Amino acid sequence: MRHIVKPLLRHRMMPLLVLLQVALACAIACNALFLLQQKLVPILTPDGVGQPQQLIVAWNIVPRGKPWPVGTLRQTVSELRAIPGVTAASLAGSWPMETMAQMTGTVVADGKSAKASAVIYIGDHLRDTLDLKLVDGRDFSPTEDGVVLKGMGIDTDGPTIITRALAKHLFPDGHALGKVIRIGDEADAARRTVVGVVAHLMRNKFGQDNRADIDYSMLFPGAPSNWPVPMFGVRVRAVAEVAGVLKAVKATVQRELGPNMIQGIDPAYETYGDMRKRMLAQPKAAVWLLSGVSLVVLLVALVGIMGMTGYWVQQRTRQIGIRRALGAKRSDILHEIQVENLLVVGSGILLGMALAYAVNLWLMRHYELSRLPWQYLPLGAVLMLALGQLAVLSPALRAAAVPPVVATRSV
Amino acid sequence: MFKYYLRLALRRCRQNVLMVALLVLTMAIGIASTMTAMTIFGALAGAPLQGISPHLYVATMDAREALDKDDPDYGQPDSLLKFSDAKALVDARHAMQQVAVAVSLTQFGRPDGKQSEQAYGLMAYGPVLQTLGVSLRYGRPWTEAEQAADAPVVVIDTEVAEKLFGTDNAVGRSVTLGRRSFRVIGVSVPWSTRVRMFDVQKNQGAVLGEKEMFFVPAQAALDAGVGPLLAGECGKDAPVASFQSAAVAQCRWIETWVRLDTPVAVAAYDRFLDGYANVQHDAGRFVYAPQAKLVGTQAWLTLNHVVPDDVHLNLMLAGGFLLLCLVNVAGLLAARFLRRQGDVAIRRALGASKRAVFLQHLVETGVLGLIGGVLALPLNWLGLWIVRMQPVSYAAAAKFSPGVFGALFVLSLAVGLLVGILPEWRVCRLPPALQIKLG
Repeated sequence: MRHIVKPLLRHRMMPLLVLLQVALACAIACNALFLLQQKLVPILTPDGVGQPQQLIVAWNIVPRGKPWPVGTLRQTVSELRAIPGVTAASLAGSWPMETMAQMTGTVVADGKSAKASAVIYIGDHLRDTLDLKLVDGRDFSPTEDGVVLKGMGIDTDGPTIITRALAKHLFPDGHALGKVIRIGDEADAARRTVVGVVAHLMRNKFGQDNRADIDYSMLFPGAPSNWPVPMFGVRVRAVAEVAGVLKAVKATVQRELGPNMIQGIDPAYETYGDMRKRMLAQPKAAVWLLSGVSLVVLLVALVGIMGMTGYWVQQRTRQIGIRRALGAKRSDILHEIQVENLLVVGSGILLGMALAYAVNLWLMRHYELSRLPWQYLPLGAVLMLALGQLAVLSPALRAAAVPPVVATRSV
Repeated sequence: MFKYYLRLALRRCRQNVLMVALLVLTMAIGIASTMTAMTIFGALAGAPLQGISPHLYVATMDAREALDKDDPDYGQPDSLLKFSDAKALVDARHAMQQVAVAVSLTQFGRPDGKQSEQAYGLMAYGPVLQTLGVSLRYGRPWTEAEQAADAPVVVIDTEVAEKLFGTDNAVGRSVTLGRRSFRVIGVSVPWSTRVRMFDVQKNQGAVLGEKEMFFVPAQAALDAGVGPLLAGECGKDAPVASFQSAAVAQCRWIETWVRLDTPVAVAAYDRFLDGYANVQHDAGRFVYAPQAKLVGTQAWLTLNHVVPDDVHLNLMLAGGFLLLCLVNVAGLLAARFLRRQGDVAIRRALGASKRAVFLQHLVETGVLGLIGGVLALPLNWLGLWIVRMQPVSYAAAAKFSPGVFGALFVLSLAVGLLVGILPEWRVCRLPPALQIKLG
C-alpha cells in the first residue's frame, strides 16, 4: 500500500484535482437525484381515478360577489346528470389535480395518538364520479350524499371514506371501518366515522415536498355551501360520447351560472386526463431537466478523471518501466493504478458526501425541501466508485502495457 | 509579443484537436447552463420596480375582527386591510409617500358602447402614480380634491386608449367603468411590475407581473359598482373569498404600501403602524394581538413564494455545475501544459523569463476561454429555448438580452484565465535544467 500512497502525497496536484472533482460531482449528483426523485413522486403515484378520459371536469367557475346558493348549484348538477351519456355527476369543493382550492388539515385517529396531514375532498357522489376502487366497506348512501353542509363541512360530524394508505397510517391494526377520525386537534373537532376505504386517491397539493402522505385523502359526502369556487365532475359512459357531453356540460353550466360569473376569467372544461397531463407537465419537464443535468455532471466527471489519470500515468511511464523490469507483472501495475484510483475517488466521495449533506441541510433551512434520505449517500458512493473505475480503465491498461525496456531508455 | 503568443496558442490548439474540443466544450456547457439559470434568476429575482420597490414597504397586521377557529395562530403576515384602515394609514402621512392599492379586473367601454375591453388595473387611494413611479404620456394624475370628492376620473394606458379611441391621447374622453362614466385625465405608458407584487397572498402560481392598464380612485370605482378582483375574508359567516364585488365594506381587500428611504424612517413607521394597530385592538375591533409589521417588497415576495423555489435551486445547480466544469478544465489544462514541459524548458533555456512563459500560457487559456464563450452562446440560446418550451409560469422571462451576451463573454474569458492560473504557475515553476532533463 505504501508504494501507492507515497507518490500520491508527493505529487499532490493531479490527485487533488481528481478528488475535488469527484467530491463536487458526488455532491451535485446526490442532490440532483434527490430532487429528481421528489419530482417523480406525483408522476408515479397512482391517483386512484378510474378512466381519466371519461371524466369531464368543469372548474374555475367563479361567481361575482356572493357565492351561488346551494340550490342553484344542485339544480345545475342535476341537469348535468340528466345529459344523455352521463353516468354520474358531482358538485364538489375541490378536485384531484386541481390546486386552486385545497382543503388540507391535520386529522387524528380518535382515542389514539396517530395523526396525519390529509386532504379532504367534499362533494356528492364523489366515489362514483371519480370511479375510485372501493376495497373495504361501502359507498355513501343517497341520504348522506344529499346533505347540504354548513360551509365546507369541516366542523360537521358524519361519515367518511378514506384511502388505504391513510387507513393504514391512522389504524395500523388494520381495522379502520367504523372507527372515528377527528378533523383537528381540538376537543370539539368534528368526528367522522369511516364507512369505506378506497385503494388510492392522490391529494391535490404536490409541490417540492412530496412525502409519504401524497395518498392521504378523505371524502366527505354532501354539497358545500357558501363556497366561492364550486367545481363539477361528470362521468361519461363511453369515450366516444365525451366530446358531445363536454359541449352539453359547457352549455348547461353557462346557462345556469353564466349570468353571475365574474367577467374576464373563463371557466375551464376539460377531461380529467387532460387536466392531469397539464398539471404533471411541469414535474415531468423538471424530471427531464434534472436527469439531463445528472447525466452531464457524471459525463464531465468521467472525462475529467480520464484526462487527468491519463496524464498522471504517462508521467510515470519510466517508473512503471522500472517496476516491470524489476519483476512486477502486468496485472500488478493494472491493479496498482486501480487501487490508486479507488483511494483518490474514495476520499473524494467522503468529502462529497459531507458536502452533499451540508448542501441539503442548507437547502432545507431555506427552501421547502425534506432531508436527504441516507440511502442516497451509499448509492452516490457506489455510482462514483464505478465511474472512477470506468474512467481509469483505459489509462490503467495503457500503463500495464508499458514494456520493461522503457526503463533503460532516455535516462 | 502578444501576437506571437496568440499564433503559438492557435498552433497548439490545432495539435491536439480532441483534447481542445473536450476542454472548450466542458467550459461552454458550464458557462451556458449558468448563464441560462442566471438569465431567469435575474429576470425574476430583481426588484419588481427598479429603483422604486426597494424603498417600498407593505403594512401587515392581524386585522381580523372575528375569531377564526381554523387559523387562530396568524401563521403569516397579512397585508389585506379594510378600506377604512387603509385610508387612515394613508391619511396619516407618516411616510414620504403612501398609497393603498388593490388589483381590479373589469370591463372598459366607450360610452357609445362601440368598443369594450377587459383590463387589469389598480384601484387606489392616494398618489398611486407618483408612489409607484408610473410615468404619464399625457395629462395628469388625480388631485387630492378629486379624490376627496370621489370624482369619476381615471388614468388609462396608451394601449387601452389606442384600442378604445384609436389614438393614444385620450385625455378628456369618457370611458364607462361599471355603471358610471369616467373622465380620462391622464394616459400612462404601458406599465407592469417585473414580477407579481400586489395581491400575492392568494396567488395561484402567477409569477410575472400583469400589465396594469388603468388607475382609478378606489371610492369612485366602488361607487360605480367596480370592485377588486379578489376580496379576502368579509367577517363572520362570509365566504373565504369573493370576486369582483363592490360590496366590500365588511371585507379586508386593500393593501397599504409606503415609501421610506432610510432605516430610521422605517423604524419610525414600524412604531407608528404598531401603535395604530394596537389602538384598534384595544378598542376591541381587532380580536387578535395585531402583530403589526412593515415588510419590505423583496421580503414580501419571498414570504409569499412569488418566485418559485425551482428558480433558485436551478441557479444553485448550475453554479455547482460550473464549479465542477472549472475544476475539470483546470485539471485538463494542467495535464496539457505539463505534457509540454519540454517546449517550455527550451524556451526557458533560450532566455525566456518565468513571466514570459506565464504570459504565453495565459494567452493560450484566454483563447480557449474565448472559444468556449463563442460555443456557449448557441448553447445558451438552446437553454433559453428549452426553458421557454417548459410548462412553467415564468417561461416568458427566458429572453436573451444584450446584457447577458456581454456578461457571457466576460465570464468565459474570466473562466479561461482563472482556471489557467494554477497550471501556468506549475509549468513555469520548475527550473530550466530540470525541465530539459525531464523532457
